[in-house]
Amino acid sequence: MSASDQAARVTLDRPSVVGASFRLLRSELRLIVGRRRNQAGLLVLAAVPILVAVAIKFSAPRDGGGGASFLAQAASNGIFVALGALTIEIALFLPLAVAVLSGDAIAGEANLGTLRYLLTVPVHRTRLLVIKYASLVVGALIGVTVVAATGLVIGGLLFGLGPVTLLSGDQIPLVNGLARLGLAVLYLTAGLAALAAIGLLVSVLTEQPIAAMIAVTIVSTAMWILDSIPQLSWLHPWLLVHYWPAFADVFREPMFLEQIGRGLLVALAYVVVFGGLAWARFGQKDVTS
Amino acid sequence: MSIFDRRPRLRWTVPAAAGALVVAGALVGTVGVSADAGLPARTPQELLVALQTAEPTPLSGTVEATTDLGLPELPGMGGPHAATGPTSLISGSNTLRVWSDGPERGRVAMIGSSDEYDIVRNGDDVWTWSSADRAADHYVLPAADHAAGLDEAAAGMTLPSTPQEAADLVLASLDESTDVATSGVGSVAGRPVYELILTPRQADTRVARVAIAVDAETSVPLRVQVFSTQMADPAVEIGFTSVDFSQPDAALFEFAPPPGATVTEHSSADMAKDSAAAEGSGPGADAKPTVVGTGWSQVVIIALPADAMAGLANGEQDDTAAQAMALLQSLPETSGPWGSGRVVDGTLGSVILTDDGRVAIGAVGPETLGAALAAQ
Repeated sequence: MSASDQAARVTLDRPSVVGASFRLLRSELRLIVGRRRNQAGLLVLAAVPILVAVAIKFSAPRDGGGGASFLAQAASNGIFVALGALTIEIALFLPLAVAVLSGDAIAGEANLGTLRYLLTVPVHRTRLLVIKYASLVVGALIGVTVVAATGLVIGGLLFGLGPVTLLSGDQIPLVNGLARLGLAVLYLTAGLAALAAIGLLVSVLTEQPIAAMIAVTIVSTAMWILDSIPQLSWLHPWLLVHYWPAFADVFREPMFLEQIGRGLLVALAYVVVFGGLAWARFGQKDVTS
Repeated sequence: MSIFDRRPRLRWTVPAAAGALVVAGALVGTVGVSADAGLPARTPQELLVALQTAEPTPLSGTVEATTDLGLPELPGMGGPHAATGPTSLISGSNTLRVWSDGPERGRVAMIGSSDEYDIVRNGDDVWTWSSADRAADHYVLPAADHAAGLDEAAAGMTLPSTPQEAADLVLASLDESTDVATSGVGSVAGRPVYELILTPRQADTRVARVAIAVDAETSVPLRVQVFSTQMADPAVEIGFTSVDFSQPDAALFEFAPPPGATVTEHSSADMAKDSAAAEGSGPGADAKPTVVGTGWSQVVIIALPADAMAGLANGEQDDTAAQAMALLQSLPETSGPWGSGRVVDGTLGSVILTDDGRVAIGAVGPETLGAALAAQ
């Protein structure tokens, strides 16, 4: 085959390959969203901001008010319910959601015996793994968005929305505040995407989805515990979760991007290393089930 | 067919290489570029002069302040849910954002995990803002005396929050009891610096040495480390992690309290009255502090007014007094030829509070304090 023939083949093949990948990703996402347990999980994620907002609304206002958490500011602006809910759920519920999704991704298929059928589709294993990973990232984005959006809606209903007072005391229009909330959502999704890379590796290693879910939950929880021990401060910059609370930094004026930048770098490192490990294992794995 | 399909085991080299790259990158990031050999050597005296005569440079940057004074935990302070404020600097690690535009315009923002404490100065106006309390305080400096007024306004700032303030504090106390040397060049916040090392000549002080990193280009101090004789890591370290010498946005220095905030106005007359009241009720009025020793091993002894101690002991006070008493009771007891009392044994100094109402404080160990008390 001459060079020009090859080039022609590549250009001919590309649309169909891209199209096939998209169809696969779409069917993958339909699977994720369609599962009953995932829908129930989304309801739990959405319940937290509602519960918190109602509790704040009907508890007696403390005199002096205030406190170092976003929820203490909730009564002044509903957008802080969304931020407070993100702070609460990023500690356990959102990582748990990623753990469930990544357990289902490969290990779940292997457990059901559907993985070998999936591999008969004329799609390269690498591409299949990338699509599985992409569906996990989209799943994480959906989870974070549901938390933020529910918080925003319930906060808006109970406390109203208006110009947002930033942590540095400046006030910005609500639209800008919402844009910053969007940035926070994207940043947390990036962090969860790195956790999903760990999840993908575990999912490739085992055929038991439950085992993968527990492993990922243990990893994220253990990181939070290690992060809270001051004597281990040398380890903290290496922990994935260490920079997650920095999403609050977009609510300073001017935005404080140093911690967020470092958090993104750490997340990228986790994605590359653990995604690479998952890819290396999946490429040579004997799929028998 | 790629090579990874023919030889699947080769695939492991990809994550291994990525991991190695991450570790290598992180190491380069923390160790930093090796010291710039192109810098001309400078004597300690030249550095001192450069530090003290440096023009105030507009700058913005991020400061990391780590403090380990070995103090007992104070009730109601620290903890993850405490509001960020000036007292947070007393222990642990804090991140501050600093903007400065000449001596009269500056802003320091202490970053908490989900709150912030700001001090904004624009000419005669000084604002402090606590996002956790939603409280803004406005101070108007007396026009005549800017510097002193700022000190008054920032009275809550018990510790220096920028490398410049820390360096000024140290330089102000330089005398013949200190050996000044330079350890050559290094790198702070990615910029080449000269290191100035101040070593106390007296043996009984707990301060082992103070290292000041001076920016080679602007002579702005970029990092101050205070080493204790008790531990290897610096007891106090305040330094830029990133710094930029371009003009900060002027809007940063104009603070307007947001709607809904509790605003407290402090006029200059009020401030003068407050400080006079503080002097009247303080120990200064009837008992002058006694100073024993010189230089770094100086011990200051203050006699507390008799009723202060009695009031504490009776316990018929508000919560603050009860807390103070509880704290006092939790301190280890000590005794010597001077009597008996309680001791705070810190990394950079110590305090003895005697049962007969004297307080001895110094950058020395408790033994030296005891000797000074006995000599009084």
